[in-house]
Amino acid sequence: MRMTEEILRVEDLHVSVDETPILNGMNLTIHRGEIHVIMGRNGAGKSTLASVIMGHPAYEITKGTIHYMGTNINEMSVFERARAGMFLSFQYPAVIPGVQVGTFLKKSVQSVRDEPLKGREFRKELNGAMKALEMEKSVLSRYVNDGFSGGEKKRLEILQMLLLKPTLALLDETDSGLDIDALRIVAKGINSVAPEAGCLIITHYQRLLDHVQPHFVHVMIDGAIVQSGGPELAHKLEEQGYEWLETPKEA
Amino acid sequence: MKYADMAVPSRALHLWRYTPWARIHPSKIDEVPNATGVRFKVVEGGELVEGAPRIVIAEDIGRVFLSELGGTAMTFESNGDSEVVHLQAVASGHVAVGHLHLALKHDVAVMLHLSGEADWTGLHITGEVGANVRAGFGLVNELASNGKLLHCEDWSIARDANLELAGLSIGGFRCKSDIRSRFTGSGAALTQAISVHGAGQRHVDHHIEIHHDVPHTDSSLNIHAACDDQSHSIATGLLTIAEQANHCDAGQVFKNLLLSEKARAEAIPELEVLADEVAAAHGAASAPVDRDQLHYLMSRGLDTEAAVALLIEGFMQAGFSTLQHQALVDEMRTRLTVHLECELKR
Repeated sequence: MRMTEEILRVEDLHVSVDETPILNGMNLTIHRGEIHVIMGRNGAGKSTLASVIMGHPAYEITKGTIHYMGTNINEMSVFERARAGMFLSFQYPAVIPGVQVGTFLKKSVQSVRDEPLKGREFRKELNGAMKALEMEKSVLSRYVNDGFSGGEKKRLEILQMLLLKPTLALLDETDSGLDIDALRIVAKGINSVAPEAGCLIITHYQRLLDHVQPHFVHVMIDGAIVQSGGPELAHKLEEQGYEWLETPKEA
Repeated sequence: MKYADMAVPSRALHLWRYTPWARIHPSKIDEVPNATGVRFKVVEGGELVEGAPRIVIAEDIGRVFLSELGGTAMTFESNGDSEVVHLQAVASGHVAVGHLHLALKHDVAVMLHLSGEADWTGLHITGEVGANVRAGFGLVNELASNGKLLHCEDWSIARDANLELAGLSIGGFRCKSDIRSRFTGSGAALTQAISVHGAGQRHVDHHIEIHHDVPHTDSSLNIHAACDDQSHSIATGLLTIAEQANHCDAGQVFKNLLLSEKARAEAIPELEVLADEVAAAHGAASAPVDRDQLHYLMSRGLDTEAAVALLIEGFMQAGFSTLQHQALVDEMRTRLTVHLECELKR
């Protein structure tokens, strides 16, 4: 019997966008300290799963439930989920011209934490996190994701994760487009948050898993998990692809 | 030509299409009412002296009218001692009028804060930027929310000079600005950036003319207007490049953020390019709050109100992103942040 606290429970989740079904009976449970990895082809519904867990208004839950920390959050708004400790690292983070990174981080941390933010302590925390991610301080005066390279965007996502200290971290293709050094740094960020949180990592590649050790690897096809296993499943997928998991179509 | 002899301008002209002369005139259209003077004051750096050269474009009704109203006339001449100068203009009474002339012969940034409770304010700014001078001028319109403003500017930019013009329009009920710049020497550059915040029934009309009469001159114009409630922002631009003015590079970008269904915004860039070897571009866009940006901010814990407020601030701050003069940028950003803190009650 598992003794650790349940963070997320997704049960028989069906989701549509503009009446097109994307998720078709998704089930997933994540406990504190667990790292789950979801792999699958493009269009399998991986990013939809992350978005709908985070409460994106474009997605309609047609059936099933999402429980976070024991509470049904189907109707909870996105900012309430963030304040409750949920975090999504976006595959394509929004560009926000005119809003400086420093201002954005402060407002974000202030919104999520209950207690008032003390300037000196926040700066110290921010400096430490930026140092760990090998980020230049000049990034704080740049506009959010405006003119950022792919790697810079992903590092900024991880920086936010470190500052917001989530209970549930959803990482949507955070490793895509990263060079080896950036991948190592991003993985370091994930590993620092993971022991105290539940982590769901969506990826196409096994290489991130050289740096982040998952407890479970799941394969999604057509909006549902079709296979689960340990890290060895990711290696098998890397070698054999997804064909062996597909149900043969009738002639 | 006297005001009394001038015809009311046709609404077929861009300049007068959206804010016809009758709507910006302070009284009956055939009158030149008595006016008090706008009070100009130095807050920091430099010195103001009484009197200003009258530079009147005889065919423009606004400038002729301001000239006949009289009011205060002051001149600021840079002396090289101050890099940043803060001036204040206060308008009070029924009709208040002021003319400020800026003779910028050294590297300097001049900030003018316009405030006051006058029912109607007329402000004419004329400026000369000397050869090889790097200058900035910023106007912050913080007039009372029920006042009308007629504001004209005329700039001449000498050889190799670099002028940055910034405008932050957050005050007044009905405002008409007509800002014209002309290059008099080659190698010069103008960067102009304006941010407008419309709320309630505020009506803000900017007409910007930039005239490239000489070759090898560059200009860029950026106008960002965020319109809420039933406010209305208008931006018309006229960019001319004369026949002999080859190798000019000019661009105009007008962006509007529409925050309510009843807010309106017009953006009409216009180019008249007679030279062959030039680069000239313009663009205009009006859109509501971007749903992806809103979702991103909300996913970081900001509620809808705080997220929209941050997007408005960012949109308006981005209007100044083409400016290089740090003192000018800092001043505009600080004033904007303070205004939005009060206006959006965050």
